[in-house]
Amino acid sequence: MKKKRIWRALAPWLFLLALWELASWIFAGVPSFVGILKLAARDFADPSFLIALAGSLKRMAMGYLAVCLVGIGSGLLLGRFRWLDDLLGTLVSALNAMPGAAWVPLAVLLFGLNEGAVIFTILLGATGIVVVNTSFGVRDVPPLILRAARTMGASGTKIFWHVIVPAAIPRIIDGLRLAWAFGWRALMAGELLIGSIRGMGQLISEAAKQRRVEELLAYMVIIAGIGMVVDGLVFNRLIGSQVRARWGSA
Amino acid sequence: MQVVLEKVSKSFPGNGGSIAVLEELNFTIEKGEFVCLVGPSGCGKSTLIHLIAGLERPTSGRLLIDGSPVTGPGRDRVVVFQEPALFPWLTVRRNVEFGLKMLGIGEAQRRQKSAQYLKMVHLSRFADAYPHQLSGGMKQRVAIARALAMDPKILLMDEPFGALDAQTRRLLHEELLEIWQTTHKTIFFVTHNVREATVLGDKVLEMSARPGRIKGGFQIHLPRPRRESDPHLIVIQQRILLGLKEEIAKVVKDEDLDYLVERME
Ligand SMILES: Nc1ncnc2c1ncn2[C@@H]1O[C@H](COP(=O)(O)OP(=O)(O)OP(=O)(O)O)[C@@H](O)[C@H]1O
Ligand SMILES: [Mg+2]
Repeated sequence: MKKKRIWRALAPWLFLLALWELASWIFAGVPSFVGILKLAARDFADPSFLIALAGSLKRMAMGYLAVCLVGIGSGLLLGRFRWLDDLLGTLVSALNAMPGAAWVPLAVLLFGLNEGAVIFTILLGATGIVVVNTSFGVRDVPPLILRAARTMGASGTKIFWHVIVPAAIPRIIDGLRLAWAFGWRALMAGELLIGSIRGMGQLISEAAKQRRVEELLAYMVIIAGIGMVVDGLVFNRLIGSQVRARWGSA
Repeated sequence: MQVVLEKVSKSFPGNGGSIAVLEELNFTIEKGEFVCLVGPSGCGKSTLIHLIAGLERPTSGRLLIDGSPVTGPGRDRVVVFQEPALFPWLTVRRNVEFGLKMLGIGEAQRRQKSAQYLKMVHLSRFADAYPHQLSGGMKQRVAIARALAMDPKILLMDEPFGALDAQTRRLLHEELLEIWQTTHKTIFFVTHNVREATVLGDKVLEMSARPGRIKGGFQIHLPRPRRESDPHLIVIQQRILLGLKEEIAKVVKDEDLDYLVERME
């Protein structure tokens, strides 16, 4: 059964890639997908590529850490204090309405053409979704378990840390998962538009400028691959399985 | 523990005015007594449990616990809710230990207590399972163990077995009576199942439809374990049922009336 589902997920990929490979045999301008994969694999032995990749990952890690801290922190506060949510809720909605890439020009004006601008872009592009999910998670705790906790002598901060926060964890993790995707996009947007920082964004923009199509595609494969691996492996496999084992859902 | 209700009323704010849910309840639960309360759905049974638990305040009247008024929840009164209100992120063991942890009781003593009460409800083997891995009846047993671990003076039970099949319910009745007889706790047990009430209680109180009032009470002196089909019980059951039918008929009529009034407007 499980095997069947894996095949079902792979089938469209195999089909498209087979078509692509076929096209590359027929039309001279189309690069071979196998060639692109080979190129991508070879990239990992190229020190200058590795430096660029490490740079991007470092910025992502810093930005994402900031997103987690700021997002969960303010989400908990907004969920806990109604008045704070009344005060700042629409601001968070506005933040969420803004595509991460749209922050880049402002980030450059504020920070200059440097890493600070990229991290700022990640922060603004991905924090809102964590705030919203966290505060909803806090507010949606079933009244029944709150009552149960109160009859067992929990109140105030004890209820908050021992009942409300753990009850909200599946929602918080949903937010963090989305924030990963948003942040990864914001990172690429920042690096692409700024152009002068060594990173994956710069690599693809250079490759495009010099019309090195195969390399461009190889880099794109790597960027998508990393995004998928983190989402599928870290969020779905590692964290998701924990959440399912405990909460029985999400 | 003794619970005394003196003219206890409760109303909730609702469309425009206020909706009276409980009206002038007067009754006493004596220390060590097993009191059952039956009433039609929506008559305010859960509300009454919440009042005694201190989760809600009466709108008027006095609610006394061993002579002093209720000011809020307390570990002397623990509730087993209508649905098993377990914490999904905690194992069965940690659910049972939750209240003890809130009281600041140390790990070793918590372990010992949870083991003791899980054994009492025959769930020792499931100590490390999570609630979603249990059946409905098992979850309610965990909720009972969790309540007992608090060592309350009174156990407030709000239709705890309402969602279970007849066999499981009978099994849990036996377990509950055994626990009651060994721990000598006071139990206030709410249900809409008349047979359940007569099998369990020393006293069965009957409640009217909303606004809930105490319509009558029956002392049952038969020894336990009782059989639902015991002729003495059947007589009592019939009398309670008759009263309840009147109440249910009232609700239905009221609603028909509402409906007609709505159509006329
Ligand atoms: N917080 C509240 N605000 C407004 N109305 C409420 C509130 N809690 C309960 N009620 C109303 O009070 C009435 C009694 O509710 P309650 O839950 O106590 O009934 P019940 O007897 O436990 O019913 P059931 O047998 O179905 O559980 C209902 O009509 C309900 O709508
Ligand atoms: Mg109820």
